[in-house]
Amino acid sequence: MAFWPAARGVLGLALEGMIWSRRSLVMAVLLGLPVLFAIVYRAARAASVPPQLGGFELYGHIVALYYVRNLLPLAALFYATALVADEVEGRTLTYLLTRPIRRGSILVGKFVAYVATTLCLALPADVLTFFLLATAHGASGLGSRVPDLFRDLGVIALALLVYGALFTLLGVLLRRPVIPGLLFLFAWELVANLPGYMPRLTITGYLRSLTRHRPPEEGLGVLLGQPEVLPAALCLGVLITLALVFLGAAAWIFSRRDYVMEQ
Amino acid sequence: MTAPAGAPAPTVEFVRASRWYGQIIALNDVTATVGPGVTGLLGPNGAGKSTFLKLAAGQLAPSQGEVRVLGRPAWGSPEVFHRLGLCSEADAFWDRLTGEQFLTSLLRLTGYEEAECRRRADQALAQVDLLEARGRRIGGYSKGMRQRVKLAQALAHDPDVLLLDEPVSGMDPVNRRRVVDLVKRLGREGKTVLVSSHILYEVEAMTRKVLLIHNGRILAEGDVREIRDLMDEHPHTVALRARDPRVLARVVVTSPHVLSLTFGLEGEWLTVQTARPDEFYASLHDPAIEAGVTEMYSPDENLESVFRYLVAR
Amino acid sequence: MPIYEQTYRRYEARGPLRRVRFWPITREALRLLLERKAFLLLLVAAWAPFLVRLIQVYVVTRFPEAGRVLPVDGRLFGQFLNGQLVFTLFLSIFGGAGLVANDLRTGAILVYLSRPLTRRDYVLGKLGVLLLLNLSATLAPGFVLYGAALGLAPDQFAAWDLAWIGPAVALHSLVVSGVVSVVALAVSSLSRSARVAGLGFFGLMAGLEVASGIVGGIFRSPGSTLLSVQASLRAIGNALFGIAERGAPLHWIYPASVLALVAAGCLLVLRARVRAVEVVR
Repeated sequence: MAFWPAARGVLGLALEGMIWSRRSLVMAVLLGLPVLFAIVYRAARAASVPPQLGGFELYGHIVALYYVRNLLPLAALFYATALVADEVEGRTLTYLLTRPIRRGSILVGKFVAYVATTLCLALPADVLTFFLLATAHGASGLGSRVPDLFRDLGVIALALLVYGALFTLLGVLLRRPVIPGLLFLFAWELVANLPGYMPRLTITGYLRSLTRHRPPEEGLGVLLGQPEVLPAALCLGVLITLALVFLGAAAWIFSRRDYVMEQ
Repeated sequence: MTAPAGAPAPTVEFVRASRWYGQIIALNDVTATVGPGVTGLLGPNGAGKSTFLKLAAGQLAPSQGEVRVLGRPAWGSPEVFHRLGLCSEADAFWDRLTGEQFLTSLLRLTGYEEAECRRRADQALAQVDLLEARGRRIGGYSKGMRQRVKLAQALAHDPDVLLLDEPVSGMDPVNRRRVVDLVKRLGREGKTVLVSSHILYEVEAMTRKVLLIHNGRILAEGDVREIRDLMDEHPHTVALRARDPRVLARVVVTSPHVLSLTFGLEGEWLTVQTARPDEFYASLHDPAIEAGVTEMYSPDENLESVFRYLVAR
Repeated sequence: MPIYEQTYRRYEARGPLRRVRFWPITREALRLLLERKAFLLLLVAAWAPFLVRLIQVYVVTRFPEAGRVLPVDGRLFGQFLNGQLVFTLFLSIFGGAGLVANDLRTGAILVYLSRPLTRRDYVLGKLGVLLLLNLSATLAPGFVLYGAALGLAPDQFAAWDLAWIGPAVALHSLVVSGVVSVVALAVSSLSRSARVAGLGFFGLMAGLEVASGIVGGIFRSPGSTLLSVQASLRAIGNALFGIAERGAPLHWIYPASVLALVAAGCLLVLRARVRAVEVVR
């Protein structure tokens, strides 16, 4: 069977399982928390409890800190490391490997299912949060901020894509990818806060440059100052290339590895 | 099995194939061929049966040697799966799917159009008597139903080669019988069916062609009877039921090929051990009439005794 | 007779039940974990901050002027234990994520509960694993550090007014280990996959931590601490060791109450999930 129709078939099979799972419920709650923050913010304003941040400023913190630096990479780790591992653990991989389809199409189909699921969870939450917070002080100036919304949606999609591809590769390479994945996210990616060329060695460095939101640094970051903002074209090019390289490597390794499922 | 001249070409070929996991050799320099018809793959736990099947199914790459299915390498040839079906031993499913969804999803991946997927799914489910339960989630199926739906997915695309690992495990006697009959029918249709099982009498019911495997090596292959006949050093046992077994014994004991005699507890049976069964049978005619022999059989011309003897060697 | 009566039969153990029935569960799980090199590496890494603090104590003892930049007093232990929190998370993921999840997946719970063990014994046994792991990253290095400080600077640390440090280290370690362990075990019981449980646990802890930071950023209120388990544990540590917090301090009773509620909730989850049989509708 041709590659893309096969990937589409695997996508159909994987998508239903991914969307209607407990895992997605947990992710929906975590990715939807900013909507709750936004509601609390508006309630506080309505109750004349003065918040310390403007609505759009808070939205920027949420995108830069909550989504891009924490939740999206975690969501990618949650789903992408499990693309193959779930099938191996559940011993259902055999059914997919005994179809007349190339192994790479299995991985690509499942990866697209992951991207679709996480986008369906994250994008609406971000849009809702934006409109709740950007209009907290009134609708004036909303029009000028909508391009930022589209920019942020693009960054969210790119973050899910590139982190997802990286963790798909990790999931295929390692039997236990969770701890190395967490160490990458919460140890290596901190290098993005260092001066000089160091942020270029991290994914966060490029994603951060693409958003316009610059939340104040805390802790050690105060000493180091604001990191360099990289050109958008460079960021897009590097991130897309990384995503393709990681995914390609994952598909190549997956197609050459044999899986012994425990009885 | 070395195919005689004029016989159909072997479907599954192992040529000096070995497979190891670290320091453990699961399959050791195995050369074997499996052709059309039903072949039983037998061996104790840890013998290498699952490894053999997984190599044939292209799930594992041989560490050494070659494994070919329908003329193509089993590993790395996904097109082979148009004509190969595997029913693995693992009781594992996407439990959220119904029986019908399970089959149609997999048939879609085999390349069929939607309507054809549904038709084939229904046909396969009917073959294993699961048509009525096709709308129920597999998570709610009994063990026997789960085993049957697993068999159905292996049959649905009408493959030429079927690899069945413990196909009747968990089934009730009625469905076991049904599956045994189905396997025999598929063999008669010219399909290559390789059945791995511990349940020797069921394999015997399906076929007399066997591949015996132990400690990763082939012990014996071919017809059970032929294997038995080749076991020269192991005496054949013949059990005879007679009106007067002691009269029979008096005559039989004079034969130079008879090694021992044992009388049955109930007094009607005489069990003879002989090194030359054909000559023994030839000499039995008159003594059998005189002693009133009513029944005769050979208890060790079955798979279990052949198997036990070869494994214990 | 060939057909037996299907009436109730009392369980008649051949001997009296052991008093401490959960210990074999804990012992076996620990033995399996300690066979893994990666896990031993993580345990060793958890002691790295201890070395850094030990060096700090030594340097300040040798060069008292350094004490102005790196103060060495009771607060040192609180800062050290607050820093060990991240290691307890990693240890809980590595060692604890699969404790109940794997048993649910394989049906091994049925095997446990068909022995003379109650569900409480099972939960205690599994909890014991996590507690011992987390205490090895908190209480053990905390006490060794205290002992080293007593040895290196007896004039300072052997004084009566710093005698509270030992009990404070023990209490804070127990609270941190207890809460993190019970949350990790409860999350493990909610899934049949160790990987999903581990990531779910981390996501919960990290997500709530970030949420707490954001709400704190909105309202600049210390009450935002109560949204996060990690922040509440740090607040308890700050209160125990007298570490000054930014902004108005929150009375320790509030984070303690939240942690108690969280722990109680987790125990209820465990009570509901740890069952021999699951009914599939």
